[in-house]
Amino acid sequence: MFGGLREKLQAARNRLGSSIQEAIVTQAPPAPETHKGGPSASSASQKSISSAAPTFADKVKILIIDRELVVSEKDLSEALSELEMTLLESDVALTVTDAIIAHVRTNLVGKHRKIGASVDALVVGALKSALLEVLGNGFDLINYIKTHNRPVKILFTGVNGTGKTTTVAKIGSYLKKQGYTVVIGAGDTYRAGAIEQIGVHAGRIGIKIIQHQEGADPSAVLFDAVQYAVSHKIDVVLADTAGRFHTKSNLMSQLEKIRRVMKPDLVVYVDEAVAGNDAVVRAAEFDRTVGADAVVLTKADMDSRGGAAISIAHTIGKPLMFLGTGQGYEDIIPFDPVQVVEELLGSDA
Amino acid sequence: MLDTLSTSLKDALKKLAGKTVIDRAAVDELVKDLQRALISSDVNVKLVMELSKSIRTRSLDEQLPKGTNVREHVLRIVYQELVRLVWVSTDVKLEPQTILMAGLQGSGKTTTTAKLARYFQKKGMKVGVICADTFRPGAYDQISTLCAKINVPCFGNPLEKNALKLTREGLETLKDLELVIVDTQGRHALEADLIREIIEINVITKATHRWLVIDAALGQQASEQARRFHEAIDIDGVIITKMDGTAKGGGALSAVAETKSGIVFIGSGETIEDLERFEPDGFISRLLGMGDLKALLERANEAIKADEVDVNAMMKGKFTLRDMYKQLEALNKMGPLKQIMGMLPMGNMELPDGVYDVTSTKMVRYRIIMDSMTSGELDDPALINSSRMQRIARGAGSTPDEVRELIKYYKMMQRTLKGLRGAGGGKFNMQRLMKRFSGMQ
Ligand SMILES: Nc1nc2c(ncn2[C@@H]2O[C@H](COP(=O)(O)OP(=O)(O)OP(=O)(O)O)[C@@H](O)[C@H]2O)c(=O)[nH]1
Ligand SMILES: Nc1nc2c(ncn2[C@@H]2O[C@H](COP(=O)(O)OP(=O)(O)OP(=O)(O)O)[C@@H](O)[C@H]2O)c(=O)[nH]1
Ligand SMILES: [Mg+2]
Ligand SMILES: [Mg+2]
Repeated sequence: MFGGLREKLQAARNRLGSSIQEAIVTQAPPAPETHKGGPSASSASQKSISSAAPTFADKVKILIIDRELVVSEKDLSEALSELEMTLLESDVALTVTDAIIAHVRTNLVGKHRKIGASVDALVVGALKSALLEVLGNGFDLINYIKTHNRPVKILFTGVNGTGKTTTVAKIGSYLKKQGYTVVIGAGDTYRAGAIEQIGVHAGRIGIKIIQHQEGADPSAVLFDAVQYAVSHKIDVVLADTAGRFHTKSNLMSQLEKIRRVMKPDLVVYVDEAVAGNDAVVRAAEFDRTVGADAVVLTKADMDSRGGAAISIAHTIGKPLMFLGTGQGYEDIIPFDPVQVVEELLGSDA
Repeated sequence: MLDTLSTSLKDALKKLAGKTVIDRAAVDELVKDLQRALISSDVNVKLVMELSKSIRTRSLDEQLPKGTNVREHVLRIVYQELVRLVWVSTDVKLEPQTILMAGLQGSGKTTTTAKLARYFQKKGMKVGVICADTFRPGAYDQISTLCAKINVPCFGNPLEKNALKLTREGLETLKDLELVIVDTQGRHALEADLIREIIEINVITKATHRWLVIDAALGQQASEQARRFHEAIDIDGVIITKMDGTAKGGGALSAVAETKSGIVFIGSGETIEDLERFEPDGFISRLLGMGDLKALLERANEAIKADEVDVNAMMKGKFTLRDMYKQLEALNKMGPLKQIMGMLPMGNMELPDGVYDVTSTKMVRYRIIMDSMTSGELDDPALINSSRMQRIARGAGSTPDEVRELIKYYKMMQRTLKGLRGAGGGKFNMQRLMKRFSGMQ
C-alpha cells in the first residue's frame, strides 16, 4: 500500500535534491567532470545514494557542508511542479496539493541555510514536515475505550458504498479479539438488504446485533442498541448507518437526529482511499453538519496511493483511525501517521 | 474552491473574448486553468496533460473562423476535444441481450442492475436478473428485494458459493426472457482470482454488453482499474453512479478514454428510477466547473448566422452536407427537432420518424465527423467513396460505419426537404422553416 506514492515521491525528491545541487554547483568551484552517476540519473532510493562509493553527489555534498546556501524560487520551480504532479497523481486533492507545495516552497526557497547535513535531508525534511503536519496524529481507539466510561458509543457515517457496514464488522471483530464486549446497532433501515448484510456479519463474528424492520426509524434502533449495552454492561456500541450524500438535507437531518438520540462518544467518518477530489468536499460537509471525531479510510488495498488520507486530514483536521485493506475481518490496520510518512519517504533520511 | 476555479476559467476566457488575434500568453493561461479544472474533477492527470496539449496546439494553429473571436474559437476546441473523448456510440438497443455488470466494490453495480431492469422493462422488454455475487453478505437479499419491487424475476441462491455454476443455472432458468442482466460481486485490479472469475462469467454468458460501473468520486485509480477490467472482459460501456453528489465524474472520463468506450447511463440517486441516459453537454459543463458552458457555446455558435444558410439554394434543391452541418449546429442549440417542428405553422406535414431520431450526442458526433471532411466533400457528398470514408473516420476517431450512417441521415434529410417542396408548403412557410432550422430562436 502507498507503494506508488512512495516511489514517485522519491523520484520527485531526487529531482528536488538535484535541482538544489545544481543551484549549489553554480556557486561552488568547478565540478568534477563525470555527471553520469549523479542523483538525477539514479532513480534508486536514497539508501543506494548514501551507501554507494563516493559519487558526484557526495562530492557536491562535501563541498557544501557548512556553506551558506540560498535557494531561489527559480531553482526549484521545475522540481516543485514535478512534486505537484506527483501529489495530484496520488489523489491528493488540488487544493491540498497547493497547500503542501506552498509549505515546501516556503521551507526551501529564499532562505539562507546552513547545510550541515546532506541536501537530501533538506528536501526530505521539508516534505516530511509538510506531510506530518497535514496528517496530524493517529487515533488510538483502544486507548480511547480504556479511558472512557462504558459503553463507548461509536457512530459510523459517510456517503454511499464507502464501506461503513464492513468497517463496523471489522472493528467489532478487532475489539472482540482485544477482549471487549460489543453490540452492533443495525442503523441502516433504508437500503435493500442492509439489515441482512450486517446481520450475517454479526453472526459470523459472534456479536450481538440489535435490529428493527426495514423502514424503521434508525434513531430508535440505535437507541435500543445503546439501552441493550447499558443493561448488559457491554463495552462498546457500534452504530451502522445508511450511506447518504451531504447534499441531501433530509438525510443529513436524520443523521443529526440519530446523533441527538444516541449521543455517540465518537462519530467516525468513513470514506474510501480511492476517492478523488470529492473526498475533500464531503468530508468538510459531514464534519460541519454532524461532526467527525476520527476517520476510517477503506479500500486501501485497491493499489491506492493514499492521497485521500492526506486530503481529508488536511481538510477537517481530524485524525485517521484505521485503514481498511480488504474484505476480510482482519483487513484493518490502525493508522500510524509516522509510519505512513516513513513508508512514503523512507525512514533513514 | 470549485467556484474560484470556474471563475478563474471564466476570467481566462473573458480575456480572450474581445480578441480577434490569438494571444499565446492568454491561451497558455486558459489552458493552465483548464488543466486545474479537469484535475480537480478527477480526470487522469496524464490524460489532462495530453488533452491540454492538443487544445493548446489546435487553438494556436487553427485558423480563426470568420466572425468568431478567440474565446469562441478556443471554447469550441475545448468542447470538441472533450466530446471526442466521452463520445462513442452507445446506442442502447431494445433487442434480446445479456448485460454483464462489472466494477469495484461498492461502486453501485447492484443498485444499477435494478435501475437498468426497470429501464428496459419500461421500454416493454421482458427482463430478468441473475445475482452472481456469491460473496457479499446480503447480496441476494438486496437485489431480490429491488427486483420484487418492479416484478422482475431474480435468480440467485445465497447458499451457493460458485458464481459460475449460479450463472449457468440462471441463464437456463431465465432463457425465455429477452434481456438478462448479470450482477456480480465487487472486485479490483489486484484481485487476480476475481478477475479470472469475471472473465469466465463473461465467457459463460457470452454477454452482449460488459458495462463498467464507476463511482463519480473515483480518483486517479480509475484509469488503471478500467484498463485491467478492459483487458479482462473488453468493456464496451461505462456507467457513472452517484452523480447526485458533488463528485464530478472525471474518473469515468479516464475510464472511457482507457476502454475506448462511451458513457451509457448516469446514476443520480438511490431509487430504482434514478437512471438517466448520458448527455455530454451537462457532463462536460460539470467537469469544467462551468454550469453555463452550454450558454457560452451557444453564443459561440451564433457566429453561424441565420443568413449564412443559403435558403434559396436549398429551395432549388441544393442541400449539401455543409447545410446540414449548420442545421445540426443550430438544432443543437434549439432543442429536439420534434419540438421545433411543433412550433412551426406546418399543419399536418408528415416527416419520416428517422429525422427525429438524432440525439444531441449523435449530432455532436456528426459535426465532429464533418469537421474532418474536405470542403469539396462537404459541398458534394457524392465524392465520398469508401477510401475517403476510411480517411474521414480516422480523422474523427470514428468508424466508416458511422460515416455511412451520417451520409444516410443526410440523404434522408435531403429527401425530406424535397418532399416538403413537393408538398407545396408554400414559399413563405419554407423560408420560415429554413430560418428555424438554421439557428433562430
Ligand atoms: N477491497 C475492499 N473492499 C472493501 C473494503 N471495505 C469494504 N469493502 C467492500 O465494499 C463494498 C461496500 O461495503 P459496505 O460496507 O457495504 O459499504 P457501506 O458504506 O456500508 O455501503 P452503504 O451502506 O450502501 O452506503 C462491499 O463489497 C465491501 O465488501 C476494503 O477495505 N477493501
Ligand atoms: N445517491 C446515490 N447512491 C447510489 C447510486 N448508485 C448506488 N448508490 C448507493 O451506493 C451504495 C452501493 O451500491 P451497491 O449497488 O450496493 O454497490 P455494488 O457495486 O453492488 O457493491 P458491491 O456488490 O459490494 O461491490 C448503496 O448505498 C446504493 O444505494 C446513485 O446513483 N446515487
Ligand atoms: Mg452499509
Ligand atoms: Mg453488489
